Amino acid sequence: MAKALPWFPLVSRILAAVAGGYAFAWGFTSLVIALSLQQGVDYDEARKLAYLLAFLVYLAVFLWAFSAQSLLRVWLVLGGGGAAMTAAALWLVQPT
Amino acid sequence: MFSSFRLSMTWVHTWFGLVLGYVLMACFFFGSLSVFDREIDRWAIPETRYEPQPMPSFDKLLLPIFKAIEPRQESYDEAQKEVHGPLPPREKMVAGEFGAYTTHRDPVLSMFSSFDVPNKPKNPNVDHVHVFGGVTIDPRDGTAISDDKLKIGSRFFYPLHYSLHLHWLDLGYWIVGFAALIMLVALVTGVVMHRKIFREFFTFRPKKQTQRSVLDLHNLTGVVALPFHFFFAFTGLVIFAGIYLPVTGPMFKAQAEAHEKIEEERTGLPHDPAGVAAPLASVDAMVVEARRRWAERDMAGEVGFLGVTHYGDANGYVSVYRAGTDRVTLTGQGIHFRASTGEVILEDPQPSTVAGIDDWLTGLHLQHFRHWLLRWFYVLGGLAGCVCIATGFIFFVEKRKRQHARSGSAGVRVVDALAVAAVTGMLVATVTMLVANRLLPPELPARGDWEERIFWLAWLLALLHAGWRSAPMARAQRSPAWRAQCLALAVLCVAAPLLNWITTGDHLFKTLSKGYWPVAGLDLVLLLSAGIAVLVARRLRHGEAAEGVEQENPEASHA
Amino acid sequence: MRDVLMLAAALVSSAGGMAWLALAMKGHWQQVCGGAGPSRAAVLALRTLGALALTASLWLCLAVDHPSMAVLVWVMSLAAAALAVAFTLTWRPRWLRWWALPWSAAAAG
Repeated sequence: MAKALPWFPLVSRILAAVAGGYAFAWGFTSLVIALSLQQGVDYDEARKLAYLLAFLVYLAVFLWAFSAQSLLRVWLVLGGGGAAMTAAALWLVQPT
Repeated sequence: MFSSFRLSMTWVHTWFGLVLGYVLMACFFFGSLSVFDREIDRWAIPETRYEPQPMPSFDKLLLPIFKAIEPRQESYDEAQKEVHGPLPPREKMVAGEFGAYTTHRDPVLSMFSSFDVPNKPKNPNVDHVHVFGGVTIDPRDGTAISDDKLKIGSRFFYPLHYSLHLHWLDLGYWIVGFAALIMLVALVTGVVMHRKIFREFFTFRPKKQTQRSVLDLHNLTGVVALPFHFFFAFTGLVIFAGIYLPVTGPMFKAQAEAHEKIEEERTGLPHDPAGVAAPLASVDAMVVEARRRWAERDMAGEVGFLGVTHYGDANGYVSVYRAGTDRVTLTGQGIHFRASTGEVILEDPQPSTVAGIDDWLTGLHLQHFRHWLLRWFYVLGGLAGCVCIATGFIFFVEKRKRQHARSGSAGVRVVDALAVAAVTGMLVATVTMLVANRLLPPELPARGDWEERIFWLAWLLALLHAGWRSAPMARAQRSPAWRAQCLALAVLCVAAPLLNWITTGDHLFKTLSKGYWPVAGLDLVLLLSAGIAVLVARRLRHGEAAEGVEQENPEASHA
Repeated sequence: MRDVLMLAAALVSSAGGMAWLALAMKGHWQQVCGGAGPSRAAVLALRTLGALALTASLWLCLAVDHPSMAVLVWVMSLAAAALAVAFTLTWRPRWLRWWALPWSAAAAG
């Protein structure tokens, strides 16, 4: 680590881990709740289950964001995945 | 970007750990103090130094006090900002909800009222806005304890460890939450970095060079208390998950409302008032019935929380929860009664599996249990966390100080000064607050606010001192601020028990012979801390002297 | 009173177990007893004793408190015991020779 790391990829990676990871955790939480509701699980129960898992998921993707080779893939999976899961959750619970 | 997995994890551990370490230090330290928050309260408010009391009679003692509670001005002003149109006048507001709360460690009783606000909230995700009022009483006779007296343990140190007392936009909660995530990250990355986790499990070599011995201590305190560190950071996040991941409002509002309807039908506990006035039956009789039902199930039967919802309304109900001192899990086995008749509406059922896990994790962190050994173990775990973080700072500095001194970089000088403020400065500020608590005039208006100001001022001064004295770091030598603040801490730690003796007459021989541990314990810990601070200061002086010799005579260090 | 004694026994048991596990490591054995390090048979015996002592500690914790609480007490007692053993090895390693006795005597004799 003697030579300085290039700043742009580094800042981008930190942002991806923090903000992208948060988006992913948000999407994951929403999707777990939505899927549980589909299974007839009580809302409070579904929310508690999602919260118990969400921070472990955030922890895992945060670490992955720094160990993955491709920065583009990190952004796509975390940002894109978070958005996709949120959208899926909204679609699942929309009033029919 | 990084050439290997291990290097990437090392980078994350070093830099995120460094930046958030300053926050984590405060979380772990004030969290450790919170284990004994009630005992610190007793030390700080001498008129409450008597044995813990059971929940007093509601009908005779509590009800008249509840009726007299007024909305707090700050809460009223806060609510005014959140709703459309002017609020009804403060003194005309009528309380809709009462609660009284105590634990097996509380001689005093906390009471609060919630006042309904008819105005429409500005935030569409919020149903109702409430105004709150409260009072703390001596449950033996109902005398109020002045709000000017700050409960330093439960109202200052305890909230400090999760909110940093930074309430603007809930910023403190978010910073602490992010720090907790980084704690989890640091634990995982730390295990990845550590090559000899089992071989060096018991290893501490203080005689080796500083860089090696602080790394030993960092690994030792991190590894042996790893489950504690992990579960406290994790449960801290789970407890405030609703703040960190507020999905309900924007995404599941309809589902949450539907859930409330189902819940209302299932439990028979009305969500809204009926709008029809109704009297309140004897609550004491309900408490007797609740205790009978707990006794039937062979459970410890002290009342922990007593609440009235929709007071004075036909939909009103009374909830009696037991203090779950015999379990880790956050449990109350609540029994709910119709307020107007006293008949039982509902006995809380067994929680589901998920709720059970959630309650256990929450209870593990909030520790309502009666188990003194486990409480002290928690303090040990928390302080091990503090040592782990502090040695992390010192390792960072030791590793880079020569290189930075050569290149003229101020990097480690800043890190070291901040570390002084975060470690010894934090301790100095804490004990200064206790000293101020004994020195400020007893009848000073808003006395508690002054104690808080003195705490923050002392911490700020410690930071300025650390920065001012950091010059030797530029020559790769240790900052004398560490030693100076250790000595200041030692003086303060002796002053606090002495002042406690002078102002209250409760010296150690008296408290120990009476077995009054809340005060005796804190006095003993302060004196022990003074001793440790003196020892550390002496060791630091030897270190500085050795550095001085090395500086004058570079050969000496190789001899 | 019974609970206090049982918990004290659990603490002693955790500390003893950690001491045995430490002695099963060559470096720590040498700190305590000097010489060449424990024989293979001694390592096996020390590890077994260590594991048994830690299990006994868990059993004692379970006898005092509700299992959900006993587990916490036990885990924290392990942390406290490990710290105590580590600091004893640092400053007073000879104190642990009693735990190594049968094997160190055999090695000496």
